[in-house]
This record gives sequence, structure tokens and C-alpha cells, in this order.
Amino acid sequence: MSESEYIFTTTKTTTAIATTTLPPTLDSITSTLSDTFVHYLNYLGKLPGGDYLLWYIKASYKDDPIRSLFELMLFIFGVRYFLMSKRKENKSELVKFSQREIDELIDDWNPTELVEPVNDTEDWQLKSIPQIEGPNGPKVKLMNLTKGENVLNFAINDFLNLSRNETIRHKAKDIISTTGVGACSAPNFYGTQEVHVRLEEDISSFMHTDNSIIYGQDFITSTSVLPAFVKRGDLCVVDSGVNLAIQKALVVSRCDISWYNHNDMNHLESVLKELKPGLDKQKQIQRRFIVTEGIFDNTGELVNLPELVKLKNQYKYRVFLDETNSIGVLGDFGRGVTEHFGIDNKEIEIIVGSMAKSFGSSGGFCTGTKQMIHHQRLSSLAYVFSASLPPYSAKVTSTAIEEILHQKNGKSIIVSQLQHLISYTFKNLLTHLKSSPFIEIVNDSSSPTIHLALKNEYRESIGLPQYYGNVEFVRTGKRAKFNNELDEHYLLENFILQKIIDEVLKSKNILLTRSKALLEHENLPIRRPRLLVLVNIGLTENDVDSLITGFNDIINDICTSIKTPNDLTTLRNEMINY
Amino acid sequence: MKKPSNTLPQAPVDDRPPEVLADLEFGKLTSKEYLYVAKHPENEPYIKSIEDEPPLFIYISTYLSYLILIIIGHIRDFFGKIFKPQEYSHLVEQNGYAPWYDGFESFYERRMKNRIDDCFARPIYGAPGRFIHCFDRKKVGKSEYEYPGTTSECLNLSSYNYLGFGQSKGVCTTHALKSIDDYGTSGCSPRAGAGTTDLHLDCEALIADFVGQEDAILISQGYGTNGFVFPSIADPKTLVISDELNHASIRFGIRVSGAQVKVCKHNDMKDLEKVIRNAIAQGQPKTHRPWNKIIIAVEGLYSMEGNLCDLREVVRLKEKYKCYLFLDEAHSIGAIGPNGRGVCDYFGIDPKKIDILMGTLTKSFGATGGYISGSKEIMKRIRLSYATNSYGESVPPAVLAQIISSMKVIKGDINPGEGLERLQRIAFNSRYLRLGLKRLGFIVYGADDSPVIPLLLFLPAKMPAVSRMLYDMGIAIVITAYPATPIVSGRVRLCVSSALTKEDLDDTLRKFNEIGDLVFLKFSSGRAGGSKVKGKPPRWSIEDVLAHNVEDCKKPNLGEMP
Repeated sequence: MSESEYIFTTTKTTTAIATTTLPPTLDSITSTLSDTFVHYLNYLGKLPGGDYLLWYIKASYKDDPIRSLFELMLFIFGVRYFLMSKRKENKSELVKFSQREIDELIDDWNPTELVEPVNDTEDWQLKSIPQIEGPNGPKVKLMNLTKGENVLNFAINDFLNLSRNETIRHKAKDIISTTGVGACSAPNFYGTQEVHVRLEEDISSFMHTDNSIIYGQDFITSTSVLPAFVKRGDLCVVDSGVNLAIQKALVVSRCDISWYNHNDMNHLESVLKELKPGLDKQKQIQRRFIVTEGIFDNTGELVNLPELVKLKNQYKYRVFLDETNSIGVLGDFGRGVTEHFGIDNKEIEIIVGSMAKSFGSSGGFCTGTKQMIHHQRLSSLAYVFSASLPPYSAKVTSTAIEEILHQKNGKSIIVSQLQHLISYTFKNLLTHLKSSPFIEIVNDSSSPTIHLALKNEYRESIGLPQYYGNVEFVRTGKRAKFNNELDEHYLLENFILQKIIDEVLKSKNILLTRSKALLEHENLPIRRPRLLVLVNIGLTENDVDSLITGFNDIINDICTSIKTPNDLTTLRNEMINY
Repeated sequence: MKKPSNTLPQAPVDDRPPEVLADLEFGKLTSKEYLYVAKHPENEPYIKSIEDEPPLFIYISTYLSYLILIIIGHIRDFFGKIFKPQEYSHLVEQNGYAPWYDGFESFYERRMKNRIDDCFARPIYGAPGRFIHCFDRKKVGKSEYEYPGTTSECLNLSSYNYLGFGQSKGVCTTHALKSIDDYGTSGCSPRAGAGTTDLHLDCEALIADFVGQEDAILISQGYGTNGFVFPSIADPKTLVISDELNHASIRFGIRVSGAQVKVCKHNDMKDLEKVIRNAIAQGQPKTHRPWNKIIIAVEGLYSMEGNLCDLREVVRLKEKYKCYLFLDEAHSIGAIGPNGRGVCDYFGIDPKKIDILMGTLTKSFGATGGYISGSKEIMKRIRLSYATNSYGESVPPAVLAQIISSMKVIKGDINPGEGLERLQRIAFNSRYLRLGLKRLGFIVYGADDSPVIPLLLFLPAKMPAVSRMLYDMGIAIVITAYPATPIVSGRVRLCVSSALTKEDLDDTLRKFNEIGDLVFLKFSSGRAGGSKVKGKPPRWSIEDVLAHNVEDCKKPNLGEMP
């Protein structure tokens, strides 16, 4: 019974469908379509301003149906264009594959290792990093290399020996026991502690500037400050010896770059002169900067600031000055190169510096006009997107500034002590190495880091190249397309310096270091690797004397054994078996 | 009554007894019931958190609000430039110098953010623990503040103090103080120079062991960690596939490295697979040569959304397509997982399957800095070619001591039981607050177990309203908007901490309930859970919420409960 009922209903429905889906004529389709279209079109009239639209459509259709069609197409195209993703890549370049072809390509694909394994010739670089047991300072205990206690440490950046200063440690402990160690928040949220505000005030009053901002790490400071101001289309005229942080800042900011020869003010002037006609034509002036360092990290040379300031004012450029190595070192009170040359800090628009070197703390800072600093609080990525400096580190820097300001005869006691030791070391080392056929001092006399490098004649005689890396960045203003490859000569030259370091450590119980520039990351050519003697006031003149006595002999011993390019093969084996 | 001053006053001395102060930094657990072990159930699929949407009129009014703000801003700029040129002098050329930044670029900051400037960067003093102490201030003029000299003690839902190690008392502080005595205040030198001490080596070994990798390297800042690690692992022949909501530091790092980058949709595994497949098939642009390698860069816990990444699926894809995985655990390490070992621990995945595990020590450990960890071979290369390692400062001793001691507390080596309690408290607190807010009718994003709880406000005017009202009620919260989030979804970001007690959270819920009614924030549809009756939007009364929340928040999948 129920089954027949079921059959009955199904037949009924099929007939019903059949009647409605009779093949309609073309006319009836068009009429239904236009009916419904007009029906919906009438709704348009209910919208505000729709009446006018309706009238327009009707009128245009009556006059010229083709035009209406054209307008409709245009409208559809507009909508489609609007909805299309903006980040669509250039489709014409893409090759079309079927899913199976993609699978095959995936099977075929053999990616390289994530990182290249460290090979035999590179491994010694890791092994030669000194490891210190207990506190770091002017005298340390070494756990590796030549083990020993009371090793004189000519390798640290704590130039004013403040890291172990009693007052500073006391203040640091006070802060830790009221606020803990970490700031736990970004400065724009709840990470600005009272001590941070005080430190900003302290740095500003120390540097005689309006305002300051502090960063959680020294190395990131320039890399973050510069791109906050320099954008695409802006111009930077840059010293061709700047440090890696600035190199990366330039790359990231995508600005136009002109280079001038390292610390060559005549060349700078000719570059500025050459750029001037083009810049004068700019309808809207773009930002222009001269980018340089106080004491150059790579070369230890001192910037010729008076000349630079003159040029900058003449050609109307702003100056970005990285004082990482000169703060706490130069000038009567350690205010850096500006004080050293007696130049008003207001002449330099952006000053950045490190608090991890002379100040015996950590982090970096930037100081200058209120406006410039304020802009960074929202636009400098490393400030906005990272946690604040630990509060105790801020207090350490503030106290370090107080310590520096203790004066005698209008000069900071500790800074003049450092300057005295620097010039003592520099002078004696210079006389001592004067006759050396192998090595020479290449930096400026005021730098706390004394740079020694193999002499060019000697380097040539053993077949070392003029420079390492590539000049692409200097030549074109764009970094080289690919990273520098491993250069064995670079390793070998560094290894010669390491041998000197090891021998000094073994025979004198003195720790030196060398420049550890990473060839693969450097966008600028590296001229010569350096042996570094870092002076700090925890050491005495006697300590310096004990470094110098017989220093030349050690160098002679090592370098005379490497005289021809062939000797490098033996050296290479030594390097592998380090 | 002190006279208001324009400079920040000295922090007052707190002379309350030490026990009281300690309790203000880390509240004592009030009942054993308020603990929970958060782990993703094995063999169960990943639950994608549902992002509820408000009624259409909220969207429309949000857009309208921004439109009005923008129009008024431009009108003010237009007339301001004519009638008050001195106020705009910094935006125009001056004696041949271009302005520091142009007016268009700074429009958002000048005309929008500046109006609610007082809700950001409130200066504080003392440890950012359970309570945070803010200096009261009043805005005068355009950007100046006046300080009446008073302070406010606010419940802290703003700091990344996940496990409550933002303390100035306790075992970690003792260690930190001792390290200052023993080691001094500075790292003194780059690590590759003469800045490596036994403390650094111990700390790195401990971190490697903690995260379950063979080796780890420490860097003095979290942002800097990401910023300079990419040049060591990626070159221009490398493709990095980056989640669209990855942190700025990852994007910065990729830019520094010069690697090619492709962005995939946030936490969308289908899109990720599509991007990988196409990338392998197409090869490098123009030349169509195959990529040297492909690195997938994702975060464990996204700090603005509160989402956990679908790690199992990412690992599966990475293995299937021979890619490498870079996992940023900035927010998840310590805060997530039954043992605090991050998302790997939470999903039960062997951390060794991940090529590079990055994390920060700023958040859960109350220290600062970051780490990179991986296999011995990979770390050896990174140690050699890490720019910060050769050029930047090393981590200072007190920070190392804080990392070592807090990590040992979590592991149970120091004060056994304390670490576990902290882990289980944050897990409970996160779920408790999240469920409570959902039931009250707020739109909250993110995974059930995420300690980051974004509460959506949408309208720009509601941001300062909520922030100021809660501040007056004694709760410190963070508001974020464009550019950290999409322009329509301005939000409050709550960061839950182990230092908070259940009573603190009740108090928070009560106050949010009040504010939610006052400024109209309860517009969830119930899609993301919390409804009393299935299908109806959740609008529980605060009494009902508090009566059932403890047991209910421990049930699995808060998003699906009827």
C-alpha cells in the first residue's frame, strides 16, 4: 500500500517538472531576463541618489545599447580589479604545471644542507676563542688555550674598568633587589621604568643634548636608528670604512648611497660637489645624511670631524655619527669626538653609542634633538618591538656617568687616566715596532683599541691579496648579489695573527685579541685583518711594559718562518691541526 | 599636596613589610584546585581557534570612526599649516634641510596615536610582578605631561611575566645579586672576543638541555637574535616562507639576509603547502633554477592573536617537502607545555625534529635576551658566523644568573615543586580568564591554553576609554591597534601570569563585566564558545560565571562547550 503511494507521488513530481522545463523559445528567455532585470533595477531607485542613476541607465540604453554594454563591462572590470590581490606576483613569469608534474619536481629537488658544515680550515676559529673562568676584567683566569691565572687581559672593551667598580655594583644590586632583573615588557607598554627615564635624562645632560633614547643592545642600535629616518629616495654619503651594523642599516633602508674614501675629507668634498647639481634640481628636498663613525671599528682611525662639520654645513647635510668606540674615551670628560675637537654637540644631528664598552653596562643609546628622538619611539623597530633594557643596566650606566664626571683640574679623573695609558701604550708600541719588517700600527693615537696589521710588503711577499671580499657595494651602492665565499687566504692571515696571540699568551701570560670580521657578512672589502691591543685602566704601565718587552721577537719568530707563498701550505696544515 | 611637576618624580619608598611586598609581586596559591596541566591530547586533531566576528554595524562604525579621524586630521593639518605654521615647522623644509620625517608618514602618529598617547609608555617603578606601580600623570598641551607626584598600584595584566619571575625577592634575585658580586656588571666584550665566561657556557648548556636540543647560543637581545640569525642561515638563493603575522624581528632578519621571501596566510596549513609546492616547482624567480633550500619560519605562540601554531602539521609538511623549520618560541617557551618546554612539549613533538629553535628569555624567565638552538653541526656554523657573536656585546652576568636560576626552578632543580606550581598556575589562569571573558560575551581570540588573551574592541575610541577606566580601577592593560594589528581590530591584549591568584582574576572579570556594559563590548555571537545554550550568544551574569568557572575551565575545548 505504502509502496504504491510512493510510486504515485514520484510520477506526479516528474510530470510537474516536465511541464515547467519545456524547451522555451529564445524570446521567452530574453523577456523573463529583462523582466527580472528591470524588476531588480527598480530597487535601485529606492537608494538615495538611485533615481538619477536609474534615469541615466535608461537614457543611455535608449540612445545607445552598445554604450550600456561597454559601461557594464567597464564596471565589471573595475570590480574585478578592485578585488584582485595587490600582492599578486608577475604571472607571466610563472610556468604552469599539473599536480603530477609538481610532485615529480618535488621528488627531484635536492636541497642543500641548512648550513654548510664547519670544515677543517675553519674550526680553529672556534677553538681559539678564550674561555674565562670567573669574572671578566683586567686580570682573568683562562679555562682553555694556555690555562692560567692572573692573565693580563688586553682584550676587553671595558676601557674604564667600571664593570667591577664598587659603587656601581652597589647601585646595581639596589635596583635588582627592588625591581628584579628583566623589564618584562616593551618600552611603549609598561617597560619604561623610572631608571630608564633617569638614564635618558643623564645621557642628555652628559652629552649636552636635548633628549635621548636607549636600546637593549649596542649592535642593533645603528641598524635600527638609521632606517627610521632614511627611506627610499633619501641619500646617504657614507665613509667606505663603516662598521657592519651601519652597512646593514644602509641595506635595510634601501636609500641611495654615495661613498667617499675612508676618512678622506677632500674626496668627501668632491663627492658632495658632484652631487650638488642633481640635488639642487629636487623639487622637494630629500633627507641627506653623512654617515660616519667617531673612532672606526674596522680601522681604529679617528674621524676628521672639524672638516666634516664644515662640509656638512656648507652642503646642508645631516650627520649620523656612531660613537660606539669613542664615548667615555675621547674628550676631557669622555663625551666623544665632539668634545675632543671642541665641537658643539648640536652640530651633529644623530649620535649613537654603546653602553657596553666604556660604561661597563649593556645596551646602546641615541641622543640628539627632541623631535628626532621622539620619532624613534614609534618608528625605530628595535625600540618598538623589543623589551626594554634591564633596569639595573640602566642604573649602571647612570652611575658610570657619575663616576666619569668625578673631576680634577677640569678633567675627568678616570678618562684622563685612560688617555694617559693609551698614549703610553701607543707611543711605546710604536717605537718598539718601528723597525719591524712584518707588522705596523695602523690606527690613530687616541683610540683605546690599538690596531696592528701585517705590513703590505710582507703580505705581498707571501702572496696575500690586497683586500678580501668584494667592492660591489662601494661601486654600485647595492650590495653584492651573493655573500662572500670562504677565502682561505683570509683564514691564513688571521691564523698568523692568532699564532702571535697564542705565543704572547704562552710566553707572557697576556691575552690579546684580533678583529673578528665575518667575511661572509661584510659588504665592504676588508683591507687587512688586525691584531688588537685593547687598553683598559685596570692595567698599569708596568703591564704594558711587560707586553712590549720581547713582543717584536715573538712576531719576528713567527713571521720569519712564513716567508714565501709555499710556507702557507705548512701553515694551512697547522691551521687544520690546531 | 605636592606641586605637579613636569619631570618624573622620584619613586616613593615602599615601607610595607617584606611578606606583603613579596605577595604583591607573586600571589600565593589560594587553593590546590586552581591548577591545571595544559597539554594537547595525543592523537587528537589540532583545534583551530575560531575568530568570532562582531555584528556588521560594529565594522561599519569602526571604519566610519577611522574615516572621521582621518578627515578631521587632514582638515586640522590643512588649516593648521595656514594659521599656525610654527607648529608645523618640523614637517616642512627649513633652511635647506628636509624635515626629519614627512607629514604623510607621521600622520597616523600625529593625528591618531597622539590623542591616546597617555595610554602608552606609562612610567613605572618596582618589579613588574603581580602588581605594577605606575606614576600618575596628566597630559598637558600636545606632548607634555604633568606629574602630580602620586602613584597607582595596578593589577598587572600587561607584562610578559608569564611564569611570574618578574620578582625582586626570592631565589632568582639572590642568584642575580651574587653574580654582580662575583662577575661584575658587564659582559665586557663580544663573545668571540674575550667575552666568554664559564657562566655563559653553563647557561648555554642549560638552555640546550631545557629545550631539548644539542647546543644553544645566547644573544643579548630578543630582537637582535632574530635580526642577525637569518644572514647566517639564509642567502639570496634561499627562500624563506614566513607566516604573515610573524614578528617584526623575523621580517627584519630576512631583509638583512637578502633571502627571497614568500608570505603564507596566518596558520593556514593548506596555504603553506600550496606555497611550498609552487615554490619548489617554480624555482628561483627569472632563472627558474631550483632553490638551494627553503626555510619555513613560524612562531609557536603569536603574540597579537594568541594562536598556537599547528606544529604537527608544519613538521609533517617540512619533512614531506624537505624544507627546514625555524620556530620562534619567544612567547611560548616556559609559558606553554606541561613542563614549560614550549609548543613541542605541548604537542608532544620531539624538539630535535625542528632545525632551529629560537626563543627569548625576556618573557617567561624574567631576564632578557634570546637564544638559538639546534643540532651540534648547525650550531657550530652559527656560532662561527653569527654577527652579534663577533661584533655585539655579550650577555651580562646578572641576566645569566637570572636565566640559570629561573630555568632551574622550572626544571625542579631549585625548590622542587615550585616550578611545576608556576606552570600549572599559568595554565589554569589562562583558561580561567579566557572562559570567563567568553561567557560574559566578549570576543576573545586565541587558543584555549594561550596566556595571551586578545580582547577585541574594534572601535578606536574604545581603546583609550577601556585603558583609562581600567587604570582608574587599578588594572594595567595593553591596548594595541594598527600597525601591530589589522586596522579594524583594535584590541586589549591581556597577558596572564602565574603570579596572579584566582581572586585577582575574579576581580578582573568583575571589572571587565562592568566596563563591557558601559562601553558596549559584549557582542560575541557564541561561535567561539562560551554560550549557555548552544546557538545563543553568551551573555552570562557575572555571578553565574564565577560560580561555575573553576570546574568548567578545566573541561577540554572551551570553544565547543554548550
